[in-house]
Amino acid sequence: MPIKSIKEMSAHERRVHSLSARMFSTIVKSCIILGLVILIIGLGLYGLVLSQQYIDSAFDLSCSAASATGYGADSVSLSKRVMEKYRSLSEEQIQSIGSSRYKALFAEFEVDHDYEALSDMLYSFLEHNDVYDVYLAMYDEEASRLVYIVDPDPSFPYYPGEWESVNRKGMEKFLNWDGEGLLYDIEKTDIYGWICTTGTPIRDESGNICAFLLVDLTVNDVLRGMGPYALQVSIAIVIITIIMAGLLTRKMNKTVVKPINAIADAAVEYVNDKRNGVNDVDRFQTLNIRTGDEIENLSLVMADMERDLTEIESNLTEVTAKNEKISTELSLAAKIQAEFIPHVFPPFPERTEFSLFATMTPAKEVGGDFYDFFMIDDDHLCMLVADVSGKGIPGALFMMVSKIIIQSCAMLGQTAAEILAKTNQAICSNNEAQMFLTVWVGILDLCTGKLTAANAGHEYPMIKAPDGDYEMLKDRHGFVIGGLDESVYTEYELQLDPGSRIFVYTDGLPEATDEEGRMFGLNRILDVLNEDPGADPEKVISNMNEAVDGFVKNAEQFDDLTMLSFEYKGCTQNG
Amino acid sequence: MLNISKEMENTRLTFSLEGKLDSVTSNDLESEIMNSLEGVEELVVDCEKLEYVSSAGLRVLLAALKLMNKQGTMKVTNVCDEIMSIFEMTGFSEILTIENNAKTQAKETKEEE
Repeated sequence: MPIKSIKEMSAHERRVHSLSARMFSTIVKSCIILGLVILIIGLGLYGLVLSQQYIDSAFDLSCSAASATGYGADSVSLSKRVMEKYRSLSEEQIQSIGSSRYKALFAEFEVDHDYEALSDMLYSFLEHNDVYDVYLAMYDEEASRLVYIVDPDPSFPYYPGEWESVNRKGMEKFLNWDGEGLLYDIEKTDIYGWICTTGTPIRDESGNICAFLLVDLTVNDVLRGMGPYALQVSIAIVIITIIMAGLLTRKMNKTVVKPINAIADAAVEYVNDKRNGVNDVDRFQTLNIRTGDEIENLSLVMADMERDLTEIESNLTEVTAKNEKISTELSLAAKIQAEFIPHVFPPFPERTEFSLFATMTPAKEVGGDFYDFFMIDDDHLCMLVADVSGKGIPGALFMMVSKIIIQSCAMLGQTAAEILAKTNQAICSNNEAQMFLTVWVGILDLCTGKLTAANAGHEYPMIKAPDGDYEMLKDRHGFVIGGLDESVYTEYELQLDPGSRIFVYTDGLPEATDEEGRMFGLNRILDVLNEDPGADPEKVISNMNEAVDGFVKNAEQFDDLTMLSFEYKGCTQNG
Repeated sequence: MLNISKEMENTRLTFSLEGKLDSVTSNDLESEIMNSLEGVEELVVDCEKLEYVSSAGLRVLLAALKLMNKQGTMKVTNVCDEIMSIFEMTGFSEILTIENNAKTQAKETKEEE
């Protein structure tokens, strides 16, 4: 999926793009994970310590209870008597435990003075200590049984002589205890779950174990102690998490989010300023971000960019102004050039001997082509078409100079060939740029119709006799003007009769190019001319323009295009 | 478009032109020629693949000719009919040494037969 630009994002999407929110959730997540790990480890350690402590205190309890049984009651004698009775029973009788018959076998002990005293004593121990049971019992080592002697637990009492099977390993641990450390055993029972039993042996005068004072603890006791701890730690974790996340997010907001938003806002404002043409407000340079990190660097880079852009912009404005000036001057130059050649038609309304029309269409603003015509005296008309090797300003300058020189030479009464030779010399004498021009020039005696013409490397003129077609006149060519200073030009004469026509042009016409690169060509020029051979000069040129436009279509005009069309009507004064 | 390729052989420098030599491309050719004429005694401009020459292109040829007249010779080879007619019309055929090579000549001879 392509990345959206900031403008394409909805307000909601922008809000979701929040560093603070991400930071907050990251901190909360990591704090909770960390807290849970700490909680689990802590609970484990705490549980271990706590259970050790419980066992410790339960063992102490069994010790004190054991020694307490020596006072006010004879636990040793009671134990011995109960065990004696138990051992005297047959296996069958022992297995009848739980029946009233079995209970009756030990009935005498329930009213025994020692039993009552011990029962009261152990009950008071049980009542005042946080343990599951405190009782007096003895193992039947052969059958792995624990025979109860006194068990005061009111909720689940065992009567003297009642027994239950026990784990042999645990039993042996108790029976063989060497008196060092704590005596305890942990086992899983069906009835109570995980139970920890700790105890102290009670010995008779000769040191034989005759009973154990046992204390039972269940895992629930330990868990009961851990509950408050777990709750406290959890609350602490939640509080710390919220405080940490809040503080860090606030810090982040201040040092990261706000500066970045400031830069983003500045960027938006900057573009708005540019759109509205406000150029004298600094957006990035006034940000003043002092975070001392990459964000500060970013703001500094943006400030630099703003400065540089402002500079570039002012340069650009200067360049644009310069270009505008040049373009203004260029169009003024084009205007001067256009007005410098005769452009009012008909040019000599009082003259009935001829009709003349000409156009010049530069490819750039100013061109290098030109046509010219003027009366040398009352009887002589000079007309010419020229093409300078180059376009634009250099071509235009060269054209202006050439036009003046040619006209000056012609006005001095020189012949066509002399005009070209003189112009060539004048131009060659100062032509470092190696510019040159091609010229066709003709001088017509309006009375006799005699045309004297010369050609300096220019296109062939198209001539039409009164009753014929336009034909290309392959006249003698001299070298271009401005090329070599010793060039020689020869002139030729043509007799024009009333109705004769001349069409001269520059290479822009045959070389007009269409989109596929094909050229208009000389044959098309002749075809267009002969399609309407009787057209007057203005019509000839409009026909030609139409044909060229239709041929070129959308291709760019590449070369200047200049045409001059002339019709001789004959001399009325002498005719 | 004008493709200009240059080949130097001792003191003989050959430019092969392909495309149109007009006011747009003539500046390229002019700077290319003017910058490489030092020590050249024979300049050859091969026009075999040249389609068109405008007056601006002729100006470059004329400038090159004037320079080469001082330090050696210049000739234009393999000129096609279209360009030959431009040379003839402008009088350049009178001042340029135009030489068509064996291949072109053979072709012409064959056509004549």
